[in-house]
Parts: sequence; C-alpha cells; structure tokens
Amino acid sequence: MTRNGSSSTDSPNGRSPGGSNGHAKSRARKSAKKGRNGNSDLLSRFYGIPLPGVKPEELSGSLIVVEGTDGSGRSTQISLLTEWLESEGFAVQTMGLRRSFLVGEDIDALLAENTVTRMTLALMYGTDFFDQLERRILPALRSGLIVLADRYIFTLIARAAVRGIGRDYLHGIYEIALRPDLTFWLNVRPEIAFDREFKKSQTISYWESGRDMSLSNDLFQSFIRYQSLVKREFEYLSKRHGFIEMDGEGSVSDVNRVLRKRIASHLGIRSTHYKPSHALQHLWR
Amino acid sequence: MATITPEIPVLTDEAPEKAAAPKREYPGALVVVEGIDGSGKSTQLYLLKRWLEIGGYRIHFTEWNSSPLVKSATRRGKQRRLLTPTTFSMLHAADFADRCERQILPLLHGGYLVLADRYVYTAFARDAARGCSPRWLRNLYSFAPVPDITFYFRAPLDVAVNRIVAGRPKLKYYEAGMDLGISLDRAESFRIFQERILNNYDQMIETDRFVLMDGTVRVNKLQKQMRQLLAEKINLTHFAPKKKK
Repeated sequence: MTRNGSSSTDSPNGRSPGGSNGHAKSRARKSAKKGRNGNSDLLSRFYGIPLPGVKPEELSGSLIVVEGTDGSGRSTQISLLTEWLESEGFAVQTMGLRRSFLVGEDIDALLAENTVTRMTLALMYGTDFFDQLERRILPALRSGLIVLADRYIFTLIARAAVRGIGRDYLHGIYEIALRPDLTFWLNVRPEIAFDREFKKSQTISYWESGRDMSLSNDLFQSFIRYQSLVKREFEYLSKRHGFIEMDGEGSVSDVNRVLRKRIASHLGIRSTHYKPSHALQHLWR
Repeated sequence: MATITPEIPVLTDEAPEKAAAPKREYPGALVVVEGIDGSGKSTQLYLLKRWLEIGGYRIHFTEWNSSPLVKSATRRGKQRRLLTPTTFSMLHAADFADRCERQILPLLHGGYLVLADRYVYTAFARDAARGCSPRWLRNLYSFAPVPDITFYFRAPLDVAVNRIVAGRPKLKYYEAGMDLGISLDRAESFRIFQERILNNYDQMIETDRFVLMDGTVRVNKLQKQMRQLLAEKINLTHFAPKKKK
C-alpha cells in the first residue's frame, strides 16, 4: 500500500496489456505476483514500460543497489563487495551519481554555482541516471555482469521529494527504470552521519546539509534537519519498494558479512568467506 | 527475505482527457505556437511579437531549447551521437525546467504576456515519434503551466518539408531523425520523421485545445487572423503600457 492511499491506477507491475479496464488490471497484478515469486515474469524487471528498445529477457546479469545517506558507508562496502565478487569469479560493473559521460560534469558545475532550481537539478540527475543505465548498465547486464549501484533512483526520488516535488511525479519518471534484484539500505542516524562526514572532509558541504532549503543558518542544525527529512523519505521508499534495511552504524566487517550473505544466496555462491586484500585492509574496521 | 512489492503508480496509457483549463494562479498569460518545422509558426510568432513590442506591451519571448544551462551537454550528446530517446527527452526536459522556473513562471507571476516558440507539445510529438511512451512524457512535463492559447500551425507535409530542405544545405543527424534508423537517406528520414510528428500533433488538436492555423495562407493574412484570435482570447489591456498620471 502506498502511504497516500493506493488508488486503482497503482499496479505493481507496469501496464496491463489489455489497457485500463479493471479486470485486465487485476489479472495483470496477479500474474505479476506469481511472476516475482516464480522469477519467471521478465517484464517485472522494470517498474512499468521498459525503456524504449530494451528486451528484458536479454538481461542475464544482476543489479544490486546499495542506498544510504552520505556517511552511511556505502562506498566502502561497494569497494569490498567488488573485490569479494571478483575473487568469486564474477565480473562487476559499478554505477553512481554524476558519473555519466553525458552530463556528469555539467551537474558538478551546476552544484558549484548554487543557482540551479530544484526541478532542473532533479531532471539533470535523471538524465545522468538514464545515460548510465542505457549506455553502461544495460550492456553490462546483457553480458551477464553483476552491477553494483552506489545509489540508485531512490536517492534521486528522496532528495527531490524533500524539496517538494511530487512523489508520484518522480515515480512516473523512473517507472521506465530497471528494478534492482536486491536493494540494501544502510540506515544511519543523521548525527552519526555528521560525525563521519566531518571526520572525512573537515567540513560539511552545501548540498549535503540542504542549505538550498533554508532550514537553518547553523550548518549542524541544517545538516541534521535535512538528513532527517531524507531519512523519512527513505522509510517510505523502503516500505514501498521492499528494501533490505541494515544497521549502517555497525562495524564495516559486520555490515559486509550480512551483505555477502544476502548476495551469496541471491547469486548461488556457496561460501561467503572473505578477507580483504592488502590494498583494502585500511577499510576493514 | 522481504517481499518486494513496488507500487509505482501506473497511469492509463490512453490519450489524455481534455486538458484542464488554465488555472488563473497568476496575472500573466502564456501564448504558444506549435507545429512541425517549416509550418510557418516562428515567422508568425515573430510578427506577433513585433506588433506587441511596437505597441509597448509587457511581453517576453522564449524559445524551445534556448537555455545555456544544458547547451554543452546537448552539444556533446549530439556531436558524439550519444543520445537515446530517453536521454534526449530528459535533457530537453531539464532545459525546459530551467526556463520554466527561472523565466516563464516568474514572468507569469509578474504579469507578463509570455510568447513561447514551441512548448511541451513539441516534446510530446517529437519524443513520442522517437518511441518514448506518451504517458511517460505527459508526466515528465506535468509541472509546466498550461498555455492560455496554443496556435497550431499546420501545413501539408510536402509544403513544410520542402521549405526546410530547400533552405538548408544539410539536415542535422538528430533533426533528420537519423537515430531512429528509418532510412539511410537523410532527406527521406527527415520526411518520415516529420510525418510521425505531424500525426502526433494532429492527435493533440482536440485533447489540448489547439487553435488550428492554416500554414499555407499568405503570411500577412494569417498574421491578421492570429492578432484577432489573440485579442479575442486574451485581454490585452492587462499588458498595455501604463498611462502616466
């Protein structure tokens, strides 16, 4: 159920083939449910209509998403997971925000200026996302790779939603996106995130503290309020999309063990044994 | 394992109901021209703009795809042919959002008569011709204020295409719809692409209350009609120069 009350237009699995009459819809919903459990309904790999020109049955790889606020330990975990998967013989492709060739640098420039408006920024992030999805992620999935996403549509939706852009509008944009096989949410309290971020860069950035929202002139207060709003959006998204919620405040090795266990069972890897290489030893706290 | 039950709302894929009448949330007014390339819309809007400018009216003219914000990305994408139907559409939406939030909306709230050469209908017609879902496009642009009047300039396909092909030595890759792989011949591809766009426009005449303008009518005669229609629909005295007391 959505929080705003599930309307009859809500369907978990894209459009029903027969159009919009109620019967077709409920049938589509039933078959979608069966499809998910039986893992046979290929269309369920997308939220709605697939991107133009994409055949879901070609995508043999897996998409694993790690979400969480700044300072939740996402990037650390992704580095470790990449090494572990590679040691198990899986090829890994990563994605993250602002990494597209098309507009990645343009967004950096917009953020540096602080003059961009909320809708424009949301749509630029969307462009960045779809460029990576279509030109990097889908080719990787067609080749059977494991894609590890350092954030996904959920961060984009949460950030825009706290700025007053409608949730249904945002979900509508991303309904053509690929649905992840697993979505982990590393949940940390804003206070802990603040400590970690401050330790890392000795300051708190304009955007991470939501300064554009005029929440408080005090950076600490602004950061806490902003991150609390984002966290609340994530709680909603977690219910709506079935996140695997994890305590991001645990030690790196504890969090990593749980992640490996879930991913191993998804990919059919028997052993979850892993010791980071010398190069990554410094992350293992 | 948590059951995964995403509930992304799915709207109907049918043609939209008649667009809602523009909400009067601002004192300004929005006038839009639409139509395929070569339909005569830009010439007519230019003349309308000159008429209003010379009369001293509070107006602002805005064009599709004119914001410096995404220019570098659009150029990069077009030069290297990196744009897919989706990223092409998203990039134009971002560009439009910038114009909307920083020009169109503030000006409407400030009581201006805003003249737009192409508007969201260009995206609906063109991006759907590229394969984007019409419903997805409608949602993407749902933040745009609804125009007070939309002039749709319609010329037969051959007339419009010949006007463009005659005046341009080489059609550009995306302009000709070459990314769709319809035809290796640019002129042929352009023609088929424009035909699809024209059909999409025609479907919006009713749903979006277009005012149909015959693009084959003589320029000055058509302009006279346009001025009359504008004056009937919009109270121009709101935008007239204020008399000094």
